[in-house]
Amino acid sequence: MSDSKVQPAASGFNDKTAQGIPMGMPSPAVEPPPSGPWKTSAKKFMHNPFAVTGLVILIFFILAALLAHWIAPYDPTRIDMMFPNLPAGSEGHLLGTDELGRDIFSRLLYSSRISLTVGFSVAFVSVVIGTLIGALSGYFGGWVDTIAMRLVDVMYSIPTLFLNILILAIFGSKASYMIWILALTSWMGVARLVRGNYLQLREMQYVEAAKAIGVSDWRIIFGHLLRNSSAPIIVTATLMVGGAILSESALSYLGLGIQTPNTSWGLMLSNAQEFMLTDPLQALYPGLCILIVVLAVNFIGDGIRDAMDPRKTTIPRRRLDQWRKKFSKSGI
Amino acid sequence: MTEYLIRRVLQSVLVLFLITILTFALIHAAPGGPTQVFLAPGLSPEAAQIQAHNLGLDQKVYIQYLKWIGGLLQGDLGHTFKNHIPVGDILWPTVKNTMILMAAAWLLSLIIAIPWGIYNSTKEYGFSDQTSNFISYLGFAMPTFWFGIILQQTFAMKLDILPLSDMYDMDKQGDIGNLMLHLVLPVTVLSLGFLAGYVKYSRASMLEVLNQDYIRTARAKGLKERKVVFRHALRNALIPIITILGIDLPILVGGAALTESVFNWPGMGRLFVEMAVSREYSVLMSITLVVSVLVVIGNLVADILYAVVDPRVQYGRGGGSAA
Repeated sequence: MSDSKVQPAASGFNDKTAQGIPMGMPSPAVEPPPSGPWKTSAKKFMHNPFAVTGLVILIFFILAALLAHWIAPYDPTRIDMMFPNLPAGSEGHLLGTDELGRDIFSRLLYSSRISLTVGFSVAFVSVVIGTLIGALSGYFGGWVDTIAMRLVDVMYSIPTLFLNILILAIFGSKASYMIWILALTSWMGVARLVRGNYLQLREMQYVEAAKAIGVSDWRIIFGHLLRNSSAPIIVTATLMVGGAILSESALSYLGLGIQTPNTSWGLMLSNAQEFMLTDPLQALYPGLCILIVVLAVNFIGDGIRDAMDPRKTTIPRRRLDQWRKKFSKSGI
Repeated sequence: MTEYLIRRVLQSVLVLFLITILTFALIHAAPGGPTQVFLAPGLSPEAAQIQAHNLGLDQKVYIQYLKWIGGLLQGDLGHTFKNHIPVGDILWPTVKNTMILMAAAWLLSLIIAIPWGIYNSTKEYGFSDQTSNFISYLGFAMPTFWFGIILQQTFAMKLDILPLSDMYDMDKQGDIGNLMLHLVLPVTVLSLGFLAGYVKYSRASMLEVLNQDYIRTARAKGLKERKVVFRHALRNALIPIITILGIDLPILVGGAALTESVFNWPGMGRLFVEMAVSREYSVLMSITLVVSVLVVIGNLVADILYAVVDPRVQYGRGGGSAA
C-alpha cells in the first residue's frame, strides 16, 4: 500500500488510498512501489485468481476463434447425410454431429467467432455512444442534459429485447445490423454513469484552471475529464461484453439473429432444442460455451473494478496479519 | 408532494408519447416504407394501391400517426394484416398469461431473496453468503433459455415428473392444479435470474444501514441483535429495494419473453416473437406499447412509493433542496 504515496494525486482514483495507512507509521511494504496508478492496478489484477482465470479462459476462446480455420476438423457448413446425429466421441467427430451430419466441434469453433465479435463490437460501440452523450450532457448541463436524460428515460422504458426483435424484424437479420441494434439499445447505462462522473469532475479546480488559460471545452471534455473517468468506463465496457454475448445468443435462439449458413451458439441451441428427443447432449455444448465465456468476461470485469478501486485491496491476508501485529505493538 | 406527483405523472406521459413516436417512426423507417411492410408480398401494383388506400397508407405520415394515436386513445389497437382480426382480441389474453408467470416468478424470488440477503448481511463472507455469490455469478452469466432447455431435458424428459411446456394439459384447460405444475419450470428459470440480483441488493442495502450511527446507538443501549436488525435496520434497508424493483421491470418482461418461447407459454413475449417472424406490425407496435406502459407505470409507482416511504426524500428541484 505504500506505493500510494508516490502516486500523483491528480490521478483521481487513488487519493483515498493514502488514508488507509495511519499517518506517521513506518511503511510496512517490502517491495519497491510500482510507478503510476495503472501499474498498481495491473499488479492488483494479476493477484486476483478469479480475474486471471477469466483472462486465461477468454484468451483461450479468442485464440480458438482466430485459429478456427486451422483447428476445425471439418467445414462447419459441410452437410453429411450419411452420418446424422452421431454421439459424442464418434470416430472423426469429437462431439458428434447434428441432425444434418455437420460436425458439432467445428461449428462450436466457428460460432465463437460470431459471439466474440458481436460481444466486443457491441461493447465498444455502445461505450463510445454512451460516453459521448453522457460527457456532453454532464459537462454542459442545461437543455442538452434535459434532452439526453429524457432520451435515456425513454430507452430505459422500452424492454430492450422487444425493441431489438422489432428492429430486426423490420430491417432483416444481419450480423452487422445486430451489432448496431444491440449497441444502440444498450448505451444508456454508460451515459448515466459518465454524466454523473462529469457532473462531479467539472467542478474540479483543474477544470477551472484549464478554462482560465483558454483550453477549449472539447479538450477539457475529451482530454482532461475523459482520462479521469476512464476507470469506471473500462469496467462497464468489460461487463457489457458478457451482456452482449447473451443478447446475441438470445436473438439467434429466437430465430431473429444470426441466420444459417452462418452459425452462432444461440442458433445451435435453437437447432438442438428441436432434436432434444434424439440427442439431448447437443444442447449442452453451446450453452456451456456461452456460460463459460460470459463468466470469464464478468470475472475480468469484476477484477478490473476491484483493481481500480482503491478501497478494495487485494493484500494477502498473511501480510495484513503481520501489519496488524506490528501496529498493535506500537499502540494503535 | 402534490406538485411532485403531478410533475412525475406528466413526465411519464411525455415518455410514453415519445415511445409512440419512436415505434411509429421505426415502422415508417423500414426499407420500402410502411406500404411495403403492411401489404402482402406479390400484390400487383394496382391492387397494392387500392389496399394502401383502404388502410390509409397513402396519407401523410403525421396524419397516419394522429389517426393511430386517436384509435389508441379509444382502445382501438388496429387489426392484424392476416385475417383482419382486432389486435386486442389476440393481445389481452396473452397479457394475462404473462402477468401470471411474471408475478409468480417475481414473488417467489422476492420471498427467497430478501430474507436471504438480510441473513447474509449479518454473516458477511460466510458459507451462505458465498453460496449466494456463486449463484448470482451463474445467474448473470447463464443464458436463461439454455437453463430452461436443460431443466426441460432433466425434469420433463428424463425424470418425467413435470410437464414439458404449455400452460395447461390439453384436456385440463383452466385447472389451477394443472397450471401450478406447468408453472414450476418456467418460474424456476425466471426466478434464478432475479434471485441473483435481489439477494445482492438486499444484502448491500442492509449492510449500508447496519453501518449507520443509529444502529450503533440501538446496540449500545443494549437491544437484542434480532430487534436491531428487524425493527430498526430492516425498514430503512427495504427502501432502496423498492426503486430497484421498478427499474428492473423491463428486464423482467424481456426475460419473460425468452422463457415463454422456451416453454411455449402463451404470453405476450411469445406472441411478440411469433408476430415478428410473420411481420404483423400492428401487433408488434401494440405489444411494445403495452409493455412500455407497464414499465412506465411500474417506475412511477416505485418512485412515488419511494417518496411516500422515505420522508428524507425531497421533492422539487430548486426550492426543496434548501429545506
